[in-house]
Amino acid sequence: MTSTNTTAPLISVRNLRLSFPDRAHKSLIGAAPRIEVLKGFSIDIPDGKITGIVGESGSGKSTLGRVLVRLLEPDSGEVLFDGTDIAHLDEGALRPLRRDLQMIFQDPMSSLNPRHKVWRIIAQPMKRYGRGGSKSDAIAALTKVGLPAAFADRYPHELSGGQRQRVGIARAIALEPRFILADEIVSGLDVSSQAQVLALLKDLARDMGLTVAFISHDLSVIRHLCDEVIVLNHGEIVDQGPVAEVFDAPKSDITKALLGAIPLPELDDNWFD
Amino acid sequence: MTVATHKTTLDVINLNIALPNGVRILRDVSLSLEPGEVRALVGESGAGKSMIGKSVLGILPPSLRVTEGEIILEGQHLNAMSPSTRRTTVAKTAALIPQDPLTALNPVRKIGPQIVDPLIRIHGWSADKARARALDLLDRVHIRAPERVMNSYPHELSGGMRQRILIAAAFAPSPRLIVADEPTTALDVTVQKQILRLIRELQQETGTAVLFVTHDMGVVAKISQKVTVLFAGKVMEDATTKAVFTDPQHPYTRALIAATPSYADLERPFSPVPASLISDLHQQIAQDDALYKGARR
Repeated sequence: MTSTNTTAPLISVRNLRLSFPDRAHKSLIGAAPRIEVLKGFSIDIPDGKITGIVGESGSGKSTLGRVLVRLLEPDSGEVLFDGTDIAHLDEGALRPLRRDLQMIFQDPMSSLNPRHKVWRIIAQPMKRYGRGGSKSDAIAALTKVGLPAAFADRYPHELSGGQRQRVGIARAIALEPRFILADEIVSGLDVSSQAQVLALLKDLARDMGLTVAFISHDLSVIRHLCDEVIVLNHGEIVDQGPVAEVFDAPKSDITKALLGAIPLPELDDNWFD
Repeated sequence: MTVATHKTTLDVINLNIALPNGVRILRDVSLSLEPGEVRALVGESGAGKSMIGKSVLGILPPSLRVTEGEIILEGQHLNAMSPSTRRTTVAKTAALIPQDPLTALNPVRKIGPQIVDPLIRIHGWSADKARARALDLLDRVHIRAPERVMNSYPHELSGGMRQRILIAAAFAPSPRLIVADEPTTALDVTVQKQILRLIRELQQETGTAVLFVTHDMGVVAKISQKVTVLFAGKVMEDATTKAVFTDPQHPYTRALIAATPSYADLERPFSPVPASLISDLHQQIAQDDALYKGARR
């Protein structure tokens, strides 16, 4: 990243708690019991850096991500975005902030409108937030993600998985947000498209000074992409810090298990032991 | 169980599969699999890696047909058989571990019959023997209450559990060949490791040969002894896993390994397969196709 000195966090989470009703165990009368998904922790997402959020399925990593962009409202705690607590703001109060909090989704096929051409998919939110929204604006965003202008007139189904994911990135960065949440954005892709999308995200984040939270279960990707990492397990933080530190000296057995489970592209007769 | 009198479990010789318009999906693919061996079929999406396993099992999508080539399973030429003989032969000799365990299991039937019935119907086992084997295998794949799970419906179980059940079902008749079609792609890394370990244990125990379809060079390195690298339906490299990772011969193999994140060189940026290499390969393939067409005119 451009600056090595510690910067103030863009997002600060304090004593975050969130639970969902457990409908499977709801009795006939009364409220359903609640399952605690995020069990009261505090984290900082440093400004201008890429922070990895890892954990197994059910660890709460996607839930945490959705709280950061305020698609979910926590039960209690603070979510300070650039100093403002957005944890319990209503939709009207959030609207001016929405442009700053963008998200790239795991499955670009279901997150891109199949009936719209690529340029409209990118231009629509630009219009909504008053950031232009002409076809040429959309093409400019496509160029930034390395797609040719001709793609503007294509439909999502005419693109490969990697190209669709680039369109998802173009849509997010076209709004010039301050924060992007990327939730498992490469897990459906081939290694080669994966490498392309990750290289692109890294370059864009650096060039645009973006703050990114990158959710993944793959620690090898996190190691290459991120500056900081947060390891979640059952709704609690079990490890956090600069990637190099966490990877070289993992504190928690969960982190160690996650590290040991990645099949690296090298021979290792003892991997299963 | 079949007595293994043949040296190879599977021979695929010059297999060509084409779309109705004549475009080839597999281009002169040859490979062989020895008893007890795991061969990885690796490539990016669209490389045709799943189609090899599907053509062996006779479950190709209806729009695709085998235009040329031989498939020899346990010494028996599958192409020379009538469709019904072929189905029975394949069902007795081979099994599939699919990518998506939810679509592979019948949602309105309990797990038990879904494992037990094929053992009775196809392999001619007694109901008692089949049930005992099913319970044994469920135990082997670390299902804690096998009796209860046999009585459950698929939706009552987690994704990892369903995948373990399909592994148990595939190995139950001790088939000579298992086609594992990206069996861990949908799973978390920690669950993936458990599943890979299970496949390896059972495969070593039963001496079953496995055709392991994957796009992950990391998985290839851990599970297989032989590798076939595919690009656009054509074999780029066929070698031992050891050779592929110590001295890869084909530039595409090297590019695939380089594209897979590792901890070895952290300063190295993400390296996708170079576009120039891809276009070179497509050019070669276009030339191949022209020759292939010419030779058949």
